[in-house]
Amino acid sequence: MIEYDELENKMVLKLVYYGPALSGKTTNLLRLYDLLDSEGKGDLTVLDTKDDRTIFFDLLPFFLVAPSGLKIKLKVFTVPGQVKHDATRKAVLQRADGVVFIADSQLSEETNNFESFRNLEENLRFVGLDIEKVPLVVQFNKRDLNNIVAEADIKKTWGPTGVPVFMASAVEGGGIVETFEKLAGLTYSSIDKRYHLSEKHGLDENTFVRTLTGRTRLHGQ
Amino acid sequence: MDNEYIIGSDVKLKDVLREADAMQLLQNAAKAGASYGAVEDAEGEILCHFGPSPDGHVFNIKKPFYLEGEIAGYVVIKGDGANGPVLKAVGEAAYDALNIVLKSNHRSLLATETHRTVINRSYEELLQTCNMLKESEIKYRDLAENLERQVSRRNEELKQAHAKLLHQEKIVSIGQLAAGIAHEINNPLGYILSNINTLKQYSAKMKEMLAFFRDTLSKTEVSDADREAANRKWLQYKLDHVLSDVDDLIRESIGGAERVKKIVSDLRGFSHIDETHKADADINAEIDRTLSVLAHEIPGDAGVVRDYRPLPPFTCDPAGICQAFFNIILNSLQTGKEGLKLVIETRCVDDHIIILFSDNGPGIPEKIINRIFDPFFTTKEVGKGTGMGLNVTHEIVTSYGGTVNVESRAGEGATFIITLPVNTKQKPQIKKEE
Repeated sequence: MIEYDELENKMVLKLVYYGPALSGKTTNLLRLYDLLDSEGKGDLTVLDTKDDRTIFFDLLPFFLVAPSGLKIKLKVFTVPGQVKHDATRKAVLQRADGVVFIADSQLSEETNNFESFRNLEENLRFVGLDIEKVPLVVQFNKRDLNNIVAEADIKKTWGPTGVPVFMASAVEGGGIVETFEKLAGLTYSSIDKRYHLSEKHGLDENTFVRTLTGRTRLHGQ
Repeated sequence: MDNEYIIGSDVKLKDVLREADAMQLLQNAAKAGASYGAVEDAEGEILCHFGPSPDGHVFNIKKPFYLEGEIAGYVVIKGDGANGPVLKAVGEAAYDALNIVLKSNHRSLLATETHRTVINRSYEELLQTCNMLKESEIKYRDLAENLERQVSRRNEELKQAHAKLLHQEKIVSIGQLAAGIAHEINNPLGYILSNINTLKQYSAKMKEMLAFFRDTLSKTEVSDADREAANRKWLQYKLDHVLSDVDDLIRESIGGAERVKKIVSDLRGFSHIDETHKADADINAEIDRTLSVLAHEIPGDAGVVRDYRPLPPFTCDPAGICQAFFNIILNSLQTGKEGLKLVIETRCVDDHIIILFSDNGPGIPEKIINRIFDPFFTTKEVGKGTGMGLNVTHEIVTSYGGTVNVESRAGEGATFIITLPVNTKQKPQIKKEE
């Protein structure tokens, strides 16, 4: 959590889209911005890019108010995927409440996915977060391309870890909202445990997620 | 670390909207005839405004503006109804402009803070890395320098050891040659001596017989002619002289042969070809042996004075200790000084054997006296001296825990002083690192 201001009755949450370079993190956010139509959706800020590559991050903020009056701001960030921007990745990852790992489905990108995930593990440790506890969702993007890892193989690899995995195509829009919903739900649960969102603030998970997305959830919990 | 900027920290309106910027936007509304304009934050606090009391105006717009999806504040424009449409348009324009300014400021704030955070952190990391690199560089440089020093020292040691080995091998092969020759000489010398001794006895018998003949002849009746002939023969062969000389000849021959025998024996002793192990040596005898081997080097006009005192036995490798003396004595003999006088004194003082070699040679110039024990240091012509002689002496003497020093002044001769500790039953000391 970025901050919790009791005086102002406000909490600021952070979700991070992590993953190797060019795996589609920014496209995920752009898509999300297009697809979601919620009241509290803020402007999408795409910070200085160079040749269309992210240098700092992209930011899509959401704002909602719980029945209790608790103001919740949820900020969704992307990290720069290029190896050289590791310092920025660490900075962005700091105090994250949930992480989406965007993997590139192309067969040629397996090594990059692996390296990036290892980098995520390292950096989570670096900023003092426990990868076992941080809400984590994996998305295999670019399902619309050829020469991609078979879904069965992905399931076989990730199934035993218990980490939710989504197939997506940021370009076509499939799986984008689902990924976000899943992470939002997981993040809600983790925050609820500590801040009793449901009990004290009258905000249940479904409402939380629906308020963010502006639509009824596509999948159950 | 607690105060550092966390990416995503909520920003306040004041952080992204400067009063002057907001005021400038409101000025347009004022120009268009609005009587009041204000920018308020979400709580209704006025950030900036113009115009008097906000009450009782016909035209009144209050439009919220957003930051990150949350209402950040309001634009308020008030005026009379007369130019309502114009004010509305101006109000919209001010609102749009405000939004643009807000977004752009927000973006640049995010970028700046992120940049600062990343740069600061990277800078600290770089600083750390730099310090670590510096430390390891120092370590490696030390190592490298040491390595060079060590390599060059080992090289030097190897060179010296090699030269010493060569020198010793030379001495050993000379010794072996000498011993071989000595052995070959010994055999014929044996029968020469034996034969001469036998010849001496035979000669004595013949002399006696001749005397008997002469005596008998004088007493016997022989013709004058015969007597005359015998006398003539006697004189002709100069037998008086022969008889008186033959003993001397034989004695001298025996003496010469004995001398050869002694030289051969000394040569064998010097090379210690028969002894490869340590033995209790008499230093005086070893010096004598060395001198006899060097006899041919002693110039005719030179005098060697031996001033020996009885010495306790010294446990050593006699061949080695002879070498040590050899090198000092040879240097003295080769100075080329006319009327050279070499005095060799031996003493035993408090468990120490002290040997002094003093000569009246040209002495050693002050500027080289500190270097004479250094390996490869030589004053001889290139190819004549190895520069190893005194170094070998030094090595041998120190290996027995002894010392070798020199006292000399140019033109006033030189004295080499060897001190050997008597109680050397223990193993010779290994040469220590300087």
